[in-house]
Amino acid sequence: MAETLLAVESLSAGYDEALVLHEVGFALAEGETLALLGRNGMGKSTLLATIMGHTRRHAGAIRFAGRDIARIAPHLRARMGLAWVAQEREIFSSLTVTENLTVAARPGAWTVERVYAFFPRLRERRASMGNQLSGGEQQMLAIGRALTTNPRLILLDEPLEGLAPVIAEQIAQAIRRMNREEKLTTILVEQHAQIALGLADQAICLERGRIAYAGAAAALANDLATLDRLVGVRKEGARAISR
Amino acid sequence: MAVELLTLLFNGLAYGVLLFLMAIGLSVTMGMMNFVNLAHGAFAMLGGYLGISLTTRAGVPFLAALPLVFVAVGAVGAGIEVTLYRRFYRSPQLTHVLFTIGLTFMAVAGATYVWGSQIAAMRVPDWLIGQTMFLGLQVGSYRLFLLLVGGAIALALVFGLERTRFGAMVRATVDNRRMAQSLGIDVGRVFSLTFALGSGLAGLGGALAVNFLGGIQPAFPLGYLLVYFLIVVTVGGLGSTLGALAAALLLGLADAAAKFYAPVIASFAIYLVMVVLLMWRPHGILGRR
Repeated sequence: MAETLLAVESLSAGYDEALVLHEVGFALAEGETLALLGRNGMGKSTLLATIMGHTRRHAGAIRFAGRDIARIAPHLRARMGLAWVAQEREIFSSLTVTENLTVAARPGAWTVERVYAFFPRLRERRASMGNQLSGGEQQMLAIGRALTTNPRLILLDEPLEGLAPVIAEQIAQAIRRMNREEKLTTILVEQHAQIALGLADQAICLERGRIAYAGAAAALANDLATLDRLVGVRKEGARAISR
Repeated sequence: MAVELLTLLFNGLAYGVLLFLMAIGLSVTMGMMNFVNLAHGAFAMLGGYLGISLTTRAGVPFLAALPLVFVAVGAVGAGIEVTLYRRFYRSPQLTHVLFTIGLTFMAVAGATYVWGSQIAAMRVPDWLIGQTMFLGLQVGSYRLFLLLVGGAIALALVFGLERTRFGAMVRATVDNRRMAQSLGIDVGRVFSLTFALGSGLAGLGGALAVNFLGGIQPAFPLGYLLVYFLIVVTVGGLGSTLGALAAALLLGLADAAAKFYAPVIASFAIYLVMVVLLMWRPHGILGRR
């Protein structure tokens, strides 16, 4: 059993006085991928933002690499090895693609060259400004930008959302390679539950800010009743991507 | 006619470069932290008076006084940012306005106490007095100096912001502060450094402005500077360096042209230009938002 990298303990958080998360707790071992599921507005993005330090924490602990980071500023969390790929991608629009990758890069295995090898499309667009990219390119850049900080844990917030199926497939493949070949510990928020479960080892489902399910990803993938209740899998019309 | 036009162009550009130096810090820091720093003009005033004191009382040569003023005013700016401004970033902008207007009044009163209320002038070296031939044009030596030095600094600044990693960090922070933070950029430190740099440049601009304007008074940051700086920032587009440069040059040219061709309406011709520009591009000529 690999060592625990992230342990969230009875975490309650939200924005200002409003609580969104209620006593959330889970642990993630180094090298594992966690699918974070739930319907819209159940607190998935808030949980990622809380781990990164962008919300108001009311109670609980966030232990990262053995240290409680709950009171640490976001930029210090990033330097400890946390990386966040936000739902809106949030590419720096007045920076070129290369500058987006280098502006916060830290030394390590993931260099700009390696990100370009990982996403060849970005190399072709390297001189373009951030606001000239397509949605898929923005998503590649958001992931690549997170990778050049050489994180130990990457938080991916709906990386396939709003992308054409063929582009979504490419991104999913990239995530799979990050997890399987690079052993990068990942938390993946995704509306397409079957895709996320196909990529993940563990899964948790949030319902109104509380953990409603926690277990192995493969078990949840086969438990259609639970999946339908917590995620609404039938409406979605699952698009499975082969392993 | 052509000579007249070229002279006008020259004077306008010299003035524009000066405005750019004084206003660029305000544009970048407002774009980055959404902090409305109406006391920015006080840094220019401080630079002007420091320059006068250094050259006139302390006997420091003019050219040596300029970098000293830049460093000193930059340090004062950093000190004020760390001790005062930092506490107000989360406050509503009305608080910024009231607080910094209050600071400006204090600066005006402080300057009156230290330097007196009469117009203070600066002694510049003999080679900066009178006229010089430049590209076949008879121009004021001091304006030529202003254009060359100011132009070089402006270019270095634009280049540095576009080509260095720190420049990329500044732009990233202006674009999206939260994401910059999430990637490990110490936004507070980037802002402090930017603020210090902007204040220093305002101080340097203030020192250079004294001789151009024929002297300064304590009320300098309230009337004249505040209005012109805000025009540069709004017309240029918040946080846009090139926009601020374009707006400052345009403002300088419009001012020079109005004073020459239509002195009767010169005092409000600038505002006319501003209104037209903002109707055309409400977010500034190179603004993004």
